[in-house]
Amino acid sequence: MKKGIILLLMISVASFCVFSGCSKEQASGKIISVATDATWPPMEYVDENKKIVGFDIDLLNAAAKEGGFTVEFKNTAWDGIFAGLGAGKYDAVCSSVTITDDRKKTMDFSVPYVSIGQTIVVKKETTGMEELSKFEGKKVGAQIGTTGAIEIAKNKNITLKTYDEIGLAIEDLAKGRIEAVVCDNPIAANYALLNPKYKALLKIVGEPFTTEEYGIAVKKGNKEVLDMVNAGLAKVKEKGIDKELEKKWLR
Amino acid sequence: MAKINNKTKIEVTDGVLIPARDDSAIFSAWRISFYGAISALILLPVLSPEPYKDILLFVPDGVLRTFEVTVLSIIFALFIGLMVGLGRISRFSIINKICTVYVEIIRGIPLLVQLFYIYYALAKFVKIMDITAAVIAMAVCYGAYISEIFRAGIQSIPKGQMEAALALGMTRSQAIYKIILPQTIKVVLPPIGNEFIALLKDSSLVSILAVSDLLRRGREYASTSFFYFETYTMVALIYLILTLFFSRLVAIMEERMKTNVDQS
Repeated sequence: MKKGIILLLMISVASFCVFSGCSKEQASGKIISVATDATWPPMEYVDENKKIVGFDIDLLNAAAKEGGFTVEFKNTAWDGIFAGLGAGKYDAVCSSVTITDDRKKTMDFSVPYVSIGQTIVVKKETTGMEELSKFEGKKVGAQIGTTGAIEIAKNKNITLKTYDEIGLAIEDLAKGRIEAVVCDNPIAANYALLNPKYKALLKIVGEPFTTEEYGIAVKKGNKEVLDMVNAGLAKVKEKGIDKELEKKWLR
Repeated sequence: MAKINNKTKIEVTDGVLIPARDDSAIFSAWRISFYGAISALILLPVLSPEPYKDILLFVPDGVLRTFEVTVLSIIFALFIGLMVGLGRISRFSIINKICTVYVEIIRGIPLLVQLFYIYYALAKFVKIMDITAAVIAMAVCYGAYISEIFRAGIQSIPKGQMEAALALGMTRSQAIYKIILPQTIKVVLPPIGNEFIALLKDSSLVSILAVSDLLRRGREYASTSFFYFETYTMVALIYLILTLFFSRLVAIMEERMKTNVDQS
């Protein structure tokens, strides 16, 4: 009986720690928690030391240094990352988020910090398929909820397959289970040009067919965090740190 | 083995409740949840078409896909289950070993890992398309569980039945197919119905293989529209209605079987 009570106490203490852990640090003391889906190389990914690294990470850390706040990154699955933002589980999302009008309805964005476009990745042996419309009647993959998936879904004749992570879509493409993958051009370049496993198998076709800008998303109306992030980003741009980071990660 | 008589029934407690008509507590609980879920599914889109009606229009092919995976999986799982169940009581020790090892291995690996394994790991050797991979994984996994039901069912038939059949001059396999299995079917049907419902629910796991089932359709809708609460409410309601519908179907089947037994 006594043992049971002690066990119960331990469980309740443990669960208290767990639950209280999620609710503290809401932008107070100039620490902001930022969600990122670290499966999107080279923008944000987990390196071999299990650390989250990438262009976005460096950029926001630089902005934090300039703006006088600290950033705590949380690796969060993309599908649901904006639900967590709305629920206040973290203060911002810095995860290659394209600023779109639809998204602006449910969240606020910082100033844009980099421009990209959607690109088609295919297998090396695929020829003459340089536009999305050529893939009508075929299976094309993208990560769920990304602008790439939204672009594919616009053409009803293409069978869209949505993956939890872009890496799984790329793997399916390499295995020949889908005909193409649509994703942001830095990510496409990372897989098709740099990745030792895929660069011999995959290639990028055509030019990026959209123009998009990444922004850092905050909960609708969270002006405090938005101003902090924007001030930091402004200084980063002023000093040209963003250009240096683009050179480091995106060239 | 405990002493077994003719009324032996296999009790499965971790599945859904089977709402038999003579069990009034569960039956009324079933009615409340089933009709409640159906009216919610109809009322929500009527009262607020944006976004509930859009969600309802977005997911139907996902429901079909879920059905497709579930039905194909259960058919293969039943086949595997029967074969392995018979193997588990085989007198040939090698067959017996193989079947037992299969059950041990499969039941020790989470279904989600098996799905990943068949789709992504085995892709190194064979190219399996998504639905095929999903069906193989689910059938292999549930086959192991169902084989245990078959084994228990066969072993619940009194030994005297087999002895009598052999005494009448039947071979062992004749006795199994003509005497033992027909009686087993009645015993195992309720737990197998349970497994079917469990499989229907677990089929939501295949969305991880980019199969556009009900859950993935819901996730696709939610991830671009940001109506998370509304979308997952609808998805949950549809799953609930499906499982409740089938649990009642299993109960009806069970009731039919009972009268069938009483008459004979």
